[in-house]
Amino acid sequence: MEAAKMASPKSAPKDAQVMAQILKDMGITEYEPRVINQMLEFAYRYVTTILEDAKIYSSHAKKSNVDADDVRLAIQCRTDQSFTSPPPRDFLLDIARQKNQTPLPLIKPYSGPRLPPDRYCLTAPNYRLKSLQKKVSSSAGRITVPRLSVGAVSSRPSTPTLGTPSAQTVSVSAKVGTPVSLSGQRFTVQIPSSQAAVKTATPTTPTVQNVLINPSLIGPKNILITTNMVSSQSAANEPNPLKRKHEDDDDYDNL
Amino acid sequence: VAVEDQPDVSAVLSAYNQQGDPTLYEEYYSGLKHFIECSLDCHRAELSQLFYPLFVHMYLELVYNQHESEAKSFFERFHGDQECYYQDDLRVLSSLTKKEHMKGNETMLDFRTSKFVLRISRDSYQLLKRHLQEKQNNQIWNIVQEHLYIDIFDGMPRSKQQIDAMVGSLAGEAKREANKAKVFFGLLKEPEFDVPLDDEDEEGENEEGKPKKKKPKKDSVGSKSKKQDPNAPPQNRIPLPELKDSDKLDKVMNMKEAARRVRLGPECLPSICFYTFLNAYQGLTAVDITDDSSMIVGGFADSTVRVWSVTPKKLRSVKTAADLSLIDKESDDVLERIMDEKTASELKILYGHSGPVYGTSFSPDRNYLLSCSEDGTVRLWSLQTFTCLVGYKGHNYPVWDTQFSPYGYYFVSGGHDRVARLWATDHYQPLRIFAGHLADVTCTRFHPNSNYIATGSADRTIRLWDVLNGNCVRIFTGHKGPIHSLAFSPNGRFLATGATDGRVLLWDIGHGLMVGELKGHTDTIYALRFSRDGEILASGAMDNTVRLWDAVKAFEDLETDDFTTATGHINLPENSQDLLLGTYMTKSTPVVHLHFTRRNLLLAAGAYSSQ
Repeated sequence: MEAAKMASPKSAPKDAQVMAQILKDMGITEYEPRVINQMLEFAYRYVTTILEDAKIYSSHAKKSNVDADDVRLAIQCRTDQSFTSPPPRDFLLDIARQKNQTPLPLIKPYSGPRLPPDRYCLTAPNYRLKSLQKKVSSSAGRITVPRLSVGAVSSRPSTPTLGTPSAQTVSVSAKVGTPVSLSGQRFTVQIPSSQAAVKTATPTTPTVQNVLINPSLIGPKNILITTNMVSSQSAANEPNPLKRKHEDDDDYDNL
Repeated sequence: VAVEDQPDVSAVLSAYNQQGDPTLYEEYYSGLKHFIECSLDCHRAELSQLFYPLFVHMYLELVYNQHESEAKSFFERFHGDQECYYQDDLRVLSSLTKKEHMKGNETMLDFRTSKFVLRISRDSYQLLKRHLQEKQNNQIWNIVQEHLYIDIFDGMPRSKQQIDAMVGSLAGEAKREANKAKVFFGLLKEPEFDVPLDDEDEEGENEEGKPKKKKPKKDSVGSKSKKQDPNAPPQNRIPLPELKDSDKLDKVMNMKEAARRVRLGPECLPSICFYTFLNAYQGLTAVDITDDSSMIVGGFADSTVRVWSVTPKKLRSVKTAADLSLIDKESDDVLERIMDEKTASELKILYGHSGPVYGTSFSPDRNYLLSCSEDGTVRLWSLQTFTCLVGYKGHNYPVWDTQFSPYGYYFVSGGHDRVARLWATDHYQPLRIFAGHLADVTCTRFHPNSNYIATGSADRTIRLWDVLNGNCVRIFTGHKGPIHSLAFSPNGRFLATGATDGRVLLWDIGHGLMVGELKGHTDTIYALRFSRDGEILASGAMDNTVRLWDAVKAFEDLETDDFTTATGHINLPENSQDLLLGTYMTKSTPVVHLHFTRRNLLLAAGAYSSQ
């Protein structure tokens, strides 16, 4: 279907013939026919960009014509901008020497999933839902505040870790007043139905309401499962709640 | 091994000053050519090695000093004389006609700033030196001294065949001293632990040969003797993660499977099971299979990573938090209950990369998956939630290959920026940077003992790096095209490499020598794998075939006496036909990945291409 639309090599425009010849000279024998079009587009765009830049430089230097120096300057500036190449060898050898001098770090035993600090992971939630302004009474059905992961909290240290330390993440809302340390440890948080102290290890209901967490419950011994409630496959490499903000709790309905 | 001191690039470029009159370059070169062609047969092959590097350096010098017309005529006259395997380089060179072109080309810059290594016997060298030091040939002598490093050895001059086997890389051959460092190629001792016996009818491996008794026995896999293998690295040479209970269970499973393993050999070839990816539209760029052959992953040009379950068991992800709160944590099968059956499927698609995925690697404990892509990042995915956990940014250019260490925790990646990097999953920056290649690092593999990393590159060399200190301990030259596949033998002593030239080369790591050449494939070899006990080497290539080679025979009777170790070359027997045990054609599917299951069944993978 492509071939029918494409002009045969004999009657192709001169530019296309030149491009085909260039490809042949560079040793490329197999290519889709659209490649020539793409290459021509690129060449046209590149040349016009350079010539425009050269015109600007030449008028800046108050010259009447664009000459070779202007073009050379334009090329040089564009190269540094668009066509970067990998670092030179001596630079690489230098940084390699520096990096390789430090001994390999020891590996802490029994530390769960070995991931970098949360700032460098893609595991934090990257969206917030607007809270509902309407205050609904607590008994009137579910109000989901999906920012927190729900699970049962247990303050018993003998709570078993479930099998292999999983690579699951915790998503704890940035709204929580406590700076929650997540380094290497995964734990669940109970969502209490009241703002009162939540020392009782009651199994949670699916209804999530308040989100105030008593920090005393969160400790290194409470290592349990958590789940990732957030689809963290976004390309957003700068998740919003990087820093745990101490924001106002107005958004939360204190019930 | 000392790092070569790299002169400042600009200083070298500016030192590229005139070596005599540019119009006489053609005369210098043809004079040398005449001399070499008239020399004795035994010396001619060795001295012919000079043609290519001299040609390139003289041409580049003419270009740099802006003698364009002389450069052009020089190129026209002599480029046809060069060896056929340099044709690709010459084509690149032909497009470098102006000084400005040279500045952007990193590979050419590296070529000029590093000395091209030639290995010549003392007799040939004396002959050459005497000729060049005559008055009229002084210019060439200057160029030789400036840009070439001649590694002289005492002994018989090499034949053309021997030379052709070893040359081809962008920087010539490897200096002898580059391959002298001690390499711990032995395997690490497996930890001993009790193998619980069931009532299954297994032929247990019992080291002492005593009849099997019905009591738990200690099964120490791999440590045939209690003494430390002198070639094995100390256990704590590099820190390795400790074994978790699940890892121990996995090892027990592995041993049970190993007991049922088929013993392969020329008489007993493996069955091959081919997994063809349909409707990939030439988009399949990477494949990996877990060690226990339960999952297969494909990396695609549309930037997706797709994981399939090979067994009837579906892929399950962990339940959401809401559901997890409902389960009874005290029950025995809690590990089953946390898995979500509702979203179980045979295929899971992972989105995240923004460019074609060029490399994938499962972790040994099957919890993580790595993928590297043209977007310059390496991503770590969880196979329990099927979500992305970390993006490791360091290469700012396409990353061509990545692999987990056989013990987990560490992984290596190699890319367009000409370095390989060693990472640990819990560090956002690399732990080691392996710099030294002159062109892209296209293939990276860990040694079975996790202490060394082999990298294959587009500069046609393979380098072996020490994880402990980042030093390059071996340089292997001989391939005539970029290397695309590497495989260590299970005993850690040998390395097999495949490249675009269709040859599989075999290397002895301890001695640093090429010990075998397997000819047969007609196109790039993208997959190489040794069988579980190292008896068979399987290779898969773009020519739609899988070939099986007799590895035991290839590695026996090596002449590794002092002479060959000293000179670094060996007489390769022409035994490719004898070693070839079978060629298996697919209809129209290039082979991208090979994997031996724990029972020595060979799995192969590729995408059906309709042309």
